[in-house]
Amino acid sequence: MQGYLWFIGKRALQMLAVIFCGISATFLVTHLSPIDPVEQVLGRLSSRANLSPEAILATREALNDLFGTGAPILEQYVNFWTRLVRGDLGPSLMAFPTPAMDIVMRAMPWTLGLLVSATLITFVIGNLLGALAGYNQNNRFFKLFGILAMGVQPIPYYVVAFILLIIFGFLWPVLPISGGFAMDVTPGYNWPFISSVLQHAILPTFSVVLVGFGGWFIGMRALVSNVINDDYVTYAELAGVKKSTIVGGYVIRNAVVPQLTALALTLGGVFSGTVITEQVFNYPGLGSLLIDAVNAGDYSLVLAVSTVSITAVAVAIFIVDLLHPLLDPRVKTE
Amino acid sequence: MDRRSFMLGTAAGALLISAKGLAFAQEAEGTSPDLAQFPRNETVIVHNPEGVIRNPAWFNPWVVGAGNGTSNGLHNLTTDTLWFIDPDAGVEGASENAVYNSLADGPWEYNADFTEMTVKLKQGITWSDGVGFTAADVVYTVEKQKATPGTPYNGAFTAQVKTVEAPDDYTVHFVLNKPNSRFHALFSVRWTAAWIMPKHVMEAQEDILKFDNNPPVSLGPYTLHSFDPNGTWYIWEKRADWDKTALGMVGEPKPRFIIYRNNISTDNRLIEIRNGNLDMVHDLTPEGTFSVVQQDPQIQGWFPGFPYAHPDPTLVMAIPNHQNPKFQDKRVRWALALMLDARAMSMASYRGAATLSAISVPPTGTHPRDYHGPLQQFLTDYEIDTGTSKVKPYDPTIGMQIAEMVRPQFGEAVPTDETAIRNAFGYGWWKQNIPAAEELLTAAGFTKSGNQWMMPDGQPFAFEVMVPQEGVVNRLGVIIAQTWAQNGIQATAQVDSDTWGRQRVGDYEVNIAWAVETWGGHPDLSFFLDSYHSAYVAEPGASQPDRNWMRWKDPRLDEIIEKIRGIDFNDPKGIEYGTDFVKLHLEEMPNIPIMAYNVFSIQSNKYWTGWPNADNNYANPVTNWSNGRYIFTQITPVA
Repeated sequence: MQGYLWFIGKRALQMLAVIFCGISATFLVTHLSPIDPVEQVLGRLSSRANLSPEAILATREALNDLFGTGAPILEQYVNFWTRLVRGDLGPSLMAFPTPAMDIVMRAMPWTLGLLVSATLITFVIGNLLGALAGYNQNNRFFKLFGILAMGVQPIPYYVVAFILLIIFGFLWPVLPISGGFAMDVTPGYNWPFISSVLQHAILPTFSVVLVGFGGWFIGMRALVSNVINDDYVTYAELAGVKKSTIVGGYVIRNAVVPQLTALALTLGGVFSGTVITEQVFNYPGLGSLLIDAVNAGDYSLVLAVSTVSITAVAVAIFIVDLLHPLLDPRVKTE
Repeated sequence: MDRRSFMLGTAAGALLISAKGLAFAQEAEGTSPDLAQFPRNETVIVHNPEGVIRNPAWFNPWVVGAGNGTSNGLHNLTTDTLWFIDPDAGVEGASENAVYNSLADGPWEYNADFTEMTVKLKQGITWSDGVGFTAADVVYTVEKQKATPGTPYNGAFTAQVKTVEAPDDYTVHFVLNKPNSRFHALFSVRWTAAWIMPKHVMEAQEDILKFDNNPPVSLGPYTLHSFDPNGTWYIWEKRADWDKTALGMVGEPKPRFIIYRNNISTDNRLIEIRNGNLDMVHDLTPEGTFSVVQQDPQIQGWFPGFPYAHPDPTLVMAIPNHQNPKFQDKRVRWALALMLDARAMSMASYRGAATLSAISVPPTGTHPRDYHGPLQQFLTDYEIDTGTSKVKPYDPTIGMQIAEMVRPQFGEAVPTDETAIRNAFGYGWWKQNIPAAEELLTAAGFTKSGNQWMMPDGQPFAFEVMVPQEGVVNRLGVIIAQTWAQNGIQATAQVDSDTWGRQRVGDYEVNIAWAVETWGGHPDLSFFLDSYHSAYVAEPGASQPDRNWMRWKDPRLDEIIEKIRGIDFNDPKGIEYGTDFVKLHLEEMPNIPIMAYNVFSIQSNKYWTGWPNADNNYANPVTNWSNGRYIFTQITPVA
């Protein structure tokens, strides 16, 4: 047990180091970027009204003071970390003066709800079917699934999403195509809201599942194909152990470890990798928020999304690291 | 801790974190409307081109960034200022030369040297909370913004206004720091302007930069009904006392409710207007528009037939960087123009639905009347000396040629009347004339090695053409680069996601974008031309206002701009000076004007009718331009 705690401590330190380096790198990239938020705002103002050169100068100085962008970069960096440890990432510059973290927190549940559940559904279906296909290699049904998985996987995501949009939004308009929930429901723990959220999530979830399950399926089938030749599986079969126990208790459990690592990375990536889904279905999550923030040169918001994303990836990897020795005794903690 | 308890603990922790996140989202503000209370004959649904509004409960447009959501009905329905100028003709009887007196009771009044401006205000206007609108609101708006960095007009008012006072409740008197005949433009809406603040509300706030103004006290005929806490829709309801607003004095806005829906992708808005869930859509692709208007007779574009699109008062062009030695010789710039093929550019970018312009004034609003029509003979006679020969480059038939090119596909939708074709496809453009272009390059000291043009210093004539990531301008930039490359110039299209940032600091060689924006409905060119003055041109790498991206400096240009600054906005001499600018531009060809930035804004006649169009061009149909508010006084429910 002591060894395991020592293992947790080491991994936790690594995780903190990764978070610190990742956030610092993002800070540098955003602040060294040629996109200047003050110039973005100035551009918007001067494109809508004729401002004299003096007016432009005065506005630039005022905005630099207001946004804190006039200070030397080192000073900005120290101020950033000082605020971050208090959970404050400063005001969003494109939605000034709303705190950037408020905006991120408003978008995050949508991304978590949609993409995490879609990813988990995809993971479970893909791996379960992949395991069964790997174990029953001559079964026609699973062979058909293999062909389907191989066929669907290379289709670009946006093509699948667009086809679903046309079928269920236009030709047979039975599902909502846009947004997170309907206009006439009040957000909260009430059934109309929950059912509306579920309804709005059907098409995006379906599109993610349809495209994503192939990868898990093919990966798991290959892993299981190796595992079923191991001695303990042959021994279990000869000993008359039930088939479901062999598949669930021995085969999947041993084959799933590398898949879990991939799952952790996929879930971590959800925080920044949701752009296309959210764009196609106008979902109000973190992906479209990040795009808006980059386009507007909104340092604070980019940093807020990135901080959440980096932390999520690091924590996901940390959890998988902790799970490995528990799931697979062959993995040593020392 | 055993394996099982560890995993249970981890799962429980994850659930707690998720639950906390969901709980946060549910604490957001906003109310849900009962959709049964919005009958379609009382409700107009408008597409707002903004994405998700990230701080949806923010309604204070007097903070830079304007709280992010502005075209959600906030500036269209609840704000007001002294004057409006529509890019199109304006409502007959309510506007003159497309200029509306909104809160002002008449035009601006300057003293002789334009150092003072006096405004008379309309009487009988009230804020939605019943407080009367007076000159004190205007004075407060200027003084408060002067005193508050972080407000959008802080710089403008600080630099330009010496004093502002109200001699009486309905008169405002400005004293300016120096002569400025276009000071009124700060209070004249083209897209937006200095909105007047409710003094009685704002003066009660300790810090107006932190004030969300929710719900906003309205100076327009609508007030906030409800909104989406996730920032994708807003509903506005007509005030009972709508007639006590400046817009109400033009006519009664007919819809009782106006719903603005945002964050709708191009494909989705096409589906939604077909499904009857939108009445006005801001923008579609050319292909999407052609498809929807052909399939649904209730949906209309600007023109009754092809090309359907509304020509915005902006002009897409090829913009060489004058601070780059490659483009400092006007013969080179003219050679680049004469290498281009208008038909290919029109077909590649807009599938033929482009309104071409050979001159540096967009062919929209009143400009065909004021500039394009009167200059036709001049353009037809216009001659260029290539150094070897003299050529007349203008071709007044190109619009007709493009109409014939698209006729096989679009049939009767393409107009046959010559005037209609000119209005829709433009008055003409330059003939592609490769020999003349080559003569110009040769005269400029260029030589040809094989099929490659070499610059006078012996280096290949090679440059990058910066184009945006997508849309018609992307397609246009690619065909332009290809055409130049086919004719011996190493031009390569360079797609960039930050074209605005780069053009602002002059970080490009040739840029495909617009550098001209006009009022559209009024012949005055100051909206873009004033910032073409050399005083604005910055050193390479430094920011400039969002115009004159080519960084063109010319004493003759300054002289014209200063002449325009020296006359009143409505002085007929304005067209004369504007024409002088057009002629100087032709001589120098500092950038190559190509076509209006046509916008495929469409409307559905399923529930509402009376929308503006090319035959009844009373308003700009683009949904996020605030002067579009006049549309609501003109439309009527179908049943």
